[in-house]
Amino acid sequence: MSYTIKDIAVAAEELKKQFETLEDKKAIRRSPTFRELFSKIKTAEPDKRAQFGAEVNKLKNEVEAWLSELESDNDDRAPIDVTAPFPTNSNPTTRFSLLPTQKGSIHPLMKELETVLGIFARMGFATIESREIDDDYHMFGALNFPEGHPARDDYDTFMTTQKDKKGKQFIAPAHTSTMQNRVLRQFASNLVNDEPIAVVIPGRVFRNEDLDARHEHTFYQLEGVYVGKAVTAGNLIATLKVFLQEYYQQELEVKTQPFYFPFTEPSFEFALSCPFCKKQGCNVCSQTGWIELLGCGMIHPNVLKEAGIDPTIYTGFAWGGGIDRLVMMKYDIEDIRHFESGKLEFLRQFS
Amino acid sequence: MKVGIKAIEGNSSLRFNKTDIDNLVEKIGSQLGAVDEVIDWGERYEGVVIVRVISCVKHENADNLNVCLVDDGGIAKNVERNPEGYVQVVCGAPNVREGILVAWIPPGVSVPNTFGSEDVFVIGAKELRGVMSNGMLASPSELYLSDDHSGLLEFDEDINGTTPKPGDYFAKAIGMDEIIIDIENKMFTHRPDCFGILGVAREISGIMGKAFESPSWYLETPSFEKIQKLPLSVSVETPGLVPRFMAVVMDNVQMADSPLWMQAQLRRIGIRSINNVVDVTNYVMYITGQPLHAYDYDKVAKLSSKGAEIIVRHPRANEKLQLLNGKTIVPRTDAVVIASSNESIGLGGVMGGGTTEVDKNTTRIIIEVASFDMYNIRKTSMHHGLFTDAVTRFSKGQSVHQNDRVLSYAIAQMMIFANGTLASSVVDVKNDLKPNPKIILTPEFVNERLGIDLGIDAMEKLLGNVEFIVSKDKGQLHVTAPFWRTDIAMKEDVVEEIGRLHGFDKLPLTLPEKSILPTIPNSMLNIKSTIRDSLCRFGANEILSYSFVHGALMQQVGQDPTKAFSLSNALSPNLQYYRLTLTPSLLEKIHSNAKAGYDEFAIFELGKGHSLENSDDGSGVPEEFEKLAFVYSAQTKAVSKNSGEAYFKASYFLQALLTNLRINYALEAVKNTEAPFDPKRSATILEKKTGQVIGTIGEYTLKTLKGLKLSKLTAGFELDLQVLLKHAQQNVNYEVLSKYPKISQDISLKVTGATTYQMIASVIDETVASINQDTKTQTTVQPLDIFMNEEGDKHTTFRLIFSSLQRTLTTEEVSGFLDRIDEQLTKKLGAIRI
Repeated sequence: MSYTIKDIAVAAEELKKQFETLEDKKAIRRSPTFRELFSKIKTAEPDKRAQFGAEVNKLKNEVEAWLSELESDNDDRAPIDVTAPFPTNSNPTTRFSLLPTQKGSIHPLMKELETVLGIFARMGFATIESREIDDDYHMFGALNFPEGHPARDDYDTFMTTQKDKKGKQFIAPAHTSTMQNRVLRQFASNLVNDEPIAVVIPGRVFRNEDLDARHEHTFYQLEGVYVGKAVTAGNLIATLKVFLQEYYQQELEVKTQPFYFPFTEPSFEFALSCPFCKKQGCNVCSQTGWIELLGCGMIHPNVLKEAGIDPTIYTGFAWGGGIDRLVMMKYDIEDIRHFESGKLEFLRQFS
Repeated sequence: MKVGIKAIEGNSSLRFNKTDIDNLVEKIGSQLGAVDEVIDWGERYEGVVIVRVISCVKHENADNLNVCLVDDGGIAKNVERNPEGYVQVVCGAPNVREGILVAWIPPGVSVPNTFGSEDVFVIGAKELRGVMSNGMLASPSELYLSDDHSGLLEFDEDINGTTPKPGDYFAKAIGMDEIIIDIENKMFTHRPDCFGILGVAREISGIMGKAFESPSWYLETPSFEKIQKLPLSVSVETPGLVPRFMAVVMDNVQMADSPLWMQAQLRRIGIRSINNVVDVTNYVMYITGQPLHAYDYDKVAKLSSKGAEIIVRHPRANEKLQLLNGKTIVPRTDAVVIASSNESIGLGGVMGGGTTEVDKNTTRIIIEVASFDMYNIRKTSMHHGLFTDAVTRFSKGQSVHQNDRVLSYAIAQMMIFANGTLASSVVDVKNDLKPNPKIILTPEFVNERLGIDLGIDAMEKLLGNVEFIVSKDKGQLHVTAPFWRTDIAMKEDVVEEIGRLHGFDKLPLTLPEKSILPTIPNSMLNIKSTIRDSLCRFGANEILSYSFVHGALMQQVGQDPTKAFSLSNALSPNLQYYRLTLTPSLLEKIHSNAKAGYDEFAIFELGKGHSLENSDDGSGVPEEFEKLAFVYSAQTKAVSKNSGEAYFKASYFLQALLTNLRINYALEAVKNTEAPFDPKRSATILEKKTGQVIGTIGEYTLKTLKGLKLSKLTAGFELDLQVLLKHAQQNVNYEVLSKYPKISQDISLKVTGATTYQMIASVIDETVASINQDTKTQTTVQPLDIFMNEEGDKHTTFRLIFSSLQRTLTTEEVSGFLDRIDEQLTKKLGAIRI
């Protein structure tokens, strides 16, 4: 490394010499040479002071690098033959052993997702996984979000420093709808063959949100899209109801509340009668007998148009809901943060 | 949006009984928007009564207290009364005196401003300095009307036309016996009209199937007088962000408290009563959804060069603005400020300024009714952390067509409640105000999308109920949304409107029809599922961890953060970079689990990695790498001494997993495995046939172990799922079972310490392959032992099991096979058979 300030360059040489002769290499951190340099920061000319400080820091880092290099040279781990099937001089009884099966576990979110995807597969829905980084067009433009829409600013949505070819920041998707345009395009040939588009899209989504027991900035969503001829809002509600009854293995009541999403019209919030208390009121449904579970609606004609589908011929519906919430309700999990905690104490309960 | 039942009744022909409320709430939920809560304000005031102070004498033992006799009309129960039936109350308020009408909280009744709080205060009957006091006389603060606790609330006026009398219930007298339905604001993102009582009352009429009629002042275009008494000029320098700006001057304003009923009404919707002028602006906002602002004219004029000048513009560099809340801000560059010619006097659409605030000495005011760009308002609000009632409404984009009507109504209210008179013409700076479009559609279009069968007349009625302009022509509906609606631009919007007013819950639920063609499988999901099941069976635990990591973690494990995508608005440095690989996230979870007492465990995660080196997958977005990371870790005390290095433990898992996936692989020592793997203690995993890289297995660098407090018995692997998927075989390579006996023989070889296992094994594999081919033999090769003596020589022992598909092999033949193998090993590696 080179230093533009002479005092520091000299000190660097000096420290190198000291380092080579020192018995206890770590003592280099306490070298009087450092102390002298620090005292010189204060007396340096005001306009040079910042640079002086920066270079002293650089020197400190260089010395730390010497130390860590030394440490890796001090690796006392016996060399291994990485191509061997087991260790040299090892006891045959310990070879090829794994861990007890009963301790293994699949993450509860992934397990639930597989169950949910399984039901939709049986209902005739294909599965396409969502992305973890996407562009402004797929996240907003293709979904009929007007320029300037609040979701497009970084108060709600994580964005990268890096930009796409259009000069817009990449985005950590806040919803799996970011895949709608791609999925509609990918399956557009279905429509030509008079076959509807029926796809579910699981994925990890991100919200610029402070963490607490109920809020995660990272969670899992499942999106669904269904497009064909003469698809109605009644179809939407019926489809979700059938899915939920299959999932909860019981008869349920469902209801919708009007809502607003830019990419559906009409839009709804979808609620089901609480499957845990049969509408009697319990902690899961906050004593209301109902659980608001997901957002849904008829796909906005502009969204279809943007995907090259003629909205005067085809209509469709879409929905999106959280997987984390399903799992939390199912097991009465008190804190959403457990999911991404990597705590075995939590995970092994799902062995 | 908080909506009072009485307020709805007062603005529509609807009438409700108390028993209708549950039904109404449900109907609002299903046809207008989710209801947050229903608040019965009457409960707060249960038992509070209006009384007349009959007599008031000084307390003998206390200078500041008075002993009063009050007349409650005999309404309160279980209270001590004098022979005339009056109740004795001790009161310390400075304005208590004989003859006034005040509110009395009888013994046993809770003080309204403590209602619903953690410590509800229930008034008793007790002696104050030796004199019995039954209950208390209440101030506006105790009555939860305002923060004023300087004296008693006096009723010295008509309340909405009636004079209260002793024995009247306080809540009823001032209209506080009201039920408020709080509808979630987010339901009205696209419905600015529903942030006013008129809008909500109209919608409720609509969903009840009743026609709503807006008041005439709202429907008709007002005309304003031309007056040139007090000069006012307005110029808008940011027309794109301020589509309309109306203002007028009023003179002879008499500042006072607003009438009690108005204070009470504002209180119920969470707005603090300030004075009559401010309260009128808020009251009009509550009715129409349009925020207004009142300035002190003289203060504005003082800050202007001529008359009162209002300039709507962006802030100047570093311009300071003192707000109504007492704070001084430097408005964000793109904000819209309202300014006089000298300085800015308000943050447009967000909050008024402190320097032009109306106060008790104000006699002239400017009323502003403006429209602002909704997104700009939101950004300014978020930037400065200012969340006002005006922001809530402006950020939904109020209709620009109602400003004149609202201003006209506000002027009328100012005349009534502040005795103001007009002192200028109305200034109206406006851009091209586009009317709502006419939409033509057929009933079939609506029915097809909803799955119902409504007739054209029914549709016309539903829309007409909420004042849409509808006509029928040749079986088509011609629909124009009323001027206050900003959300009706196309046919589908009309479908929504009809569906909602009709009731979505009435839609027949039929499943869509689909052929029985099988759906395409998702092989990536399937392989993930197999991996999950396998590793779980091997005793490992699947984890999930964030897609974002700390730059320091990356550096700690030897990764370069400058290669990673980074968030420009990360919540914390912990979540700044998109991870390049998954292993660092897993390693970060090891120590805490070890510390929690888990001595030996393995975790894995299936997830994605991103890198700036692959920032375009061909479609303009970054490539996403599907990965599997696995880490095994044990405390030294937890495993037996001869079990060897962690590397091999990870290797057992890898072998078991890839066997399950039917992938043939080889491990190759390379000089440069990627961090955090230690190049000296890791190998590249190659698909055997193609040599394609599947991933890396190994132990981690010492720096990583130290930095993350990991035991030396930590190792793992990270695999590329796309490559795995490519090579995972669906089919088993079945081998016919030989009918002839198997013969097994061991072979031990001495090689130098530098000869790797792989070198020996591949010579054996090659030789065995040619033996198999030459002699139609099946051979299994099993490594038995690897032993290194003190001289550094390596002894490797294999067991070879032969069987022929054609006949029984002789011992001589098998020995011959071993000799062939030995010969090759000696030739190629200098191995000595022992």
